[in-house]
Amino acid sequence: MRMSRSAWTALSLTFAAAAFLPALLLVFPVAADSQQRVGSPPTAASANGTVTMKVVEAANAFLATLSAAERTKGTFGFNSTQRTGWSNLPTGIFQRNGLRFGDMTPRQRQAALALVAAALSHEGYQKVTDIMNGDEVLKNAGGGQTGGRQGGRGPGGGIRFGLDEYYMALLGTPSTTAPWMIQFGGHHLAINVTVVGPNSVMTPSLPAAQPAKYTLKGQTIRPLGRENDKGFALINALNAGQQKRAILDYQVTDLVLGPGADGKVIQPEGIRASELDAGQQALLLDVVHEWVGILNDEAAAAKMAEIKSNLPKTYFAWSGATKNGGLAYYRIQGPTVIIEYAPQQGDLDHIHTIYRDPTNDYGAKLVTP
Amino acid sequence: MNLRRLFLPLVVLCPWLATVPPAGAHRLDEYLQAARLSIDIEHVDLEIDLTAGAALASNIFAWIDTNRDGEISGAEGEAYARQMLRSVVLKVDGYPVPVTLAGASFPQFRDMSLGVGSIRLRATAKVPSAGAGRHQVSFSNTHRPESSVYLVNALVPENRRIQLGDPRRDRAQHSLTLDYTVIAQAPSLLDRIFALVGLAMIGWLLWRFGYGLTQAVAHRQRSSRLFVN
Repeated sequence: MRMSRSAWTALSLTFAAAAFLPALLLVFPVAADSQQRVGSPPTAASANGTVTMKVVEAANAFLATLSAAERTKGTFGFNSTQRTGWSNLPTGIFQRNGLRFGDMTPRQRQAALALVAAALSHEGYQKVTDIMNGDEVLKNAGGGQTGGRQGGRGPGGGIRFGLDEYYMALLGTPSTTAPWMIQFGGHHLAINVTVVGPNSVMTPSLPAAQPAKYTLKGQTIRPLGRENDKGFALINALNAGQQKRAILDYQVTDLVLGPGADGKVIQPEGIRASELDAGQQALLLDVVHEWVGILNDEAAAAKMAEIKSNLPKTYFAWSGATKNGGLAYYRIQGPTVIIEYAPQQGDLDHIHTIYRDPTNDYGAKLVTP
Repeated sequence: MNLRRLFLPLVVLCPWLATVPPAGAHRLDEYLQAARLSIDIEHVDLEIDLTAGAALASNIFAWIDTNRDGEISGAEGEAYARQMLRSVVLKVDGYPVPVTLAGASFPQFRDMSLGVGSIRLRATAKVPSAGAGRHQVSFSNTHRPESSVYLVNALVPENRRIQLGDPRRDRAQHSLTLDYTVIAQAPSLLDRIFALVGLAMIGWLLWRFGYGLTQAVAHRQRSSRLFVN
């Protein structure tokens, strides 16, 4: 058989290329898939900043009720350490800064609550007040099973909680353009709303409840009842195979990323939302909305869209009983959201939760350093 | 703002009592030991937060405050931290590695007695066979099991070359075992340039070799034809 010169040339080039290709792959390796990392998701912004304007107005109205001394006490620099100085613990164990409800005049309290209401949704504001009322009920009922005695002597003697022990602090100057922050909290409640132009961010925040169920003026109140019920609805909507992947084979007795765990991202576990059908995914998003939806509707809608866009990378993990009424912990973790629901020390009447965005706590993505 | 909306939710409540009820919401009879592992190529860092329940605080404080003066001195704190770390076994690729105390902070007795003050220990261990490929880390904590509850989690690695596998724990979270992979380091820009130049030279040589071979074979074919003719 004879080969032409051009055929030999082609053969030699092919030989050279074959030697090149693997070497090129070594030099320019395909980027490793990093399922635990995040891209740059969209930010939560109100359509035209009207919500921010209302929140700024409410903040200025609150500030207008304060004396110069009270302003000094209740306001901080946006970049001050006060930003991370929040807790779910009662006064006496954790000393909050800012203005104490018990020291405010009725007009000041009204203005402070109006500010909280302006920043949050109707349901969010209701949840916050349910938690506060629950704390008052706890106080009046003689407290929980643990800890010391309020106002008493000895260990725990300085502990104070109830409606008077909620604090309001503003960080930065209320503005429709520059970043500032509302910090509102007390026992079992920490709401941190960072406002940057038309954007509002409510991470990290800690809504909790003790008692988890109480009666007020003839009405049964469960501040975190929907979080409980929707969690159980979701786990029970999974088939046996899905439950096997979602349910952790170990017990979780507390929040993993509670107060003080800023900036930490744990390895996600459980079932990926991409393994759920559309109905199950809708249930998952409905659970998530219980936290995201505390914030005003516009910002919450944008945040939900962001979480939905990352749904395939979002995990749902469960530990404990699957029958509603049993003791169970759950966690939802995606690139831009971490939610934990954790009954405390085996007590169904004492629930802690945390809501974080590992990429945007305190509006980190929106604030230019 | 609608005042009804503001105040209706807060109306209320029974008269605020003047008595002194017990407070709630704090850990009581458990010693919470929460550990977080941070895996890097050459070391594994440990963060261990220990929170004593209010009912246990006196006992735990007494374990640490060995001279009973009501305060935790630096030496007492360090001694307890080292004692605690002796209950921790960290293995990398199946072999135990020494865990070195990197820092410790202790709360006031008052905070501990309320069930909230946390002892924070930081420790680190070197990975003996650091390098690309598959590895396994296992962590076990058996400190004070009679009264403790445990949490242990791996943090998402800062180093993107590390990919974590599925973790395995015992039911009480005393222990965690985790496979992970270290991806080979991507070459630097300079490395890539050198490699490209080298590859270009090899390619040129191969091409020349192929061309020369072509010439030689063609010549042989021509010679062969001449011979046959």
